[in-house]
Amino acid sequence: MIQPLRMMHRAIFLVLAVLLPVLFLSGIAFRHSWPTAKPEHAKASQSPPPGTPP
Amino acid sequence: MSHQYQAISWNRQKRFYDLTIIAGVVIYVALFVGLSAFLFPYATAETMLIRATGSAAFLLLHVVLCIGPLCRLDSRFLPLLYNRRHLGVITFLLGAFHGVFAVIQFHSLGDKDPLVSLLTSNQNFRSLPDFPFQQLGFFALLILFLMATTSHDFWLTNLTPPVWKSLHMLVYVAYALLIGHVTLGVLQSETSPVFVIATGVGLATVLGLHIAAARRERKVDAMKLNTVPHGFVDACAVDSIPEKCAEVCSVNGERVAIFKYDGKISAISNVCRHQNGPLGEGRIIDGCVTCPWHGYQYLPDTGASPPPFTEKVSTFQTKIVDGRVWIDPRPNPPGTRVEPSPIQASEMHV
Repeated sequence: MIQPLRMMHRAIFLVLAVLLPVLFLSGIAFRHSWPTAKPEHAKASQSPPPGTPP
Repeated sequence: MSHQYQAISWNRQKRFYDLTIIAGVVIYVALFVGLSAFLFPYATAETMLIRATGSAAFLLLHVVLCIGPLCRLDSRFLPLLYNRRHLGVITFLLGAFHGVFAVIQFHSLGDKDPLVSLLTSNQNFRSLPDFPFQQLGFFALLILFLMATTSHDFWLTNLTPPVWKSLHMLVYVAYALLIGHVTLGVLQSETSPVFVIATGVGLATVLGLHIAAARRERKVDAMKLNTVPHGFVDACAVDSIPEKCAEVCSVNGERVAIFKYDGKISAISNVCRHQNGPLGEGRIIDGCVTCPWHGYQYLPDTGASPPPFTEKVSTFQTKIVDGRVWIDPRPNPPGTRVEPSPIQASEMHV
């Protein structure tokens, strides 16, 4: 009685063990790259353009 | 047991179990909202609640899915199994809160019906980063709803354990949908690696525990038993069975629990009639085989529950030869009395 259920459980998990890591890793690998703001100190340390009075 | 239906029969352990879960959820949500308010002061209260309840439901689902294999690997986790259904219902309620608030926040301000908006506003099925992840969550919630509403023993009895079990295996479909919902949803916009690592660790834990438990179970099923011409199979040594406990062996693909008690041996089906629990991992308490999952009881010689209860499991003929237990692989009809095999003094090496 329980053997078919056990077999079904194993089959489901076999599929999930392959499918879910692939889905998870693909989702992470192909996610959008979001633009990031430049930090303030980077802006402050920029050298002034040539010809700019000190 | 099943003598009569009761809405809920509360006991001290159930109250403690449920209070612990509710306290844990309240603390989690409070911490999540408090930390979010501190770290992300621009986030709205609705957004924090949506995230807190969603992540709590996702976390609880991981716990629910880990309890089964943990119990197969170590019996000390069995107390967690006793009220696993309560955990499942709370998971659904948290998911429902998350879903309803998300629909209100993101789909209720337009001129479309919120559900129509949820199901049709994004149809980028071919793009992984823009995939309509909310629809995955919606279908997962539908499955959790179906499971929560049929979680009572009323449905278990009327649907029969095999049908009920098959229905509740949909939890794995719900889990797969939720992994998609989280990966293609929040993990697309959150740049912090903490969320990615936490989700990955959760997924690896669920898969790893199930694979470890399946490997262990497979060993029992793959055991080859010696057969003699008159049909009995050599199951195990008398000495290998602890007193008032059982040794489990697989015969023709079905498991048999062989119990030793009071100088006797009896064999019954390993499958409890309640939820297919493993009787062979239970003990004999008050003269009855007691299922480790929910305490259903059976007399070891008849396989029948003591009156007034009516559950019955199959019994098997046994005999003891040279300190080893032999069983007839053909099961008797459930509830059939079989004379227990007496253990001779020379066969006991305690």
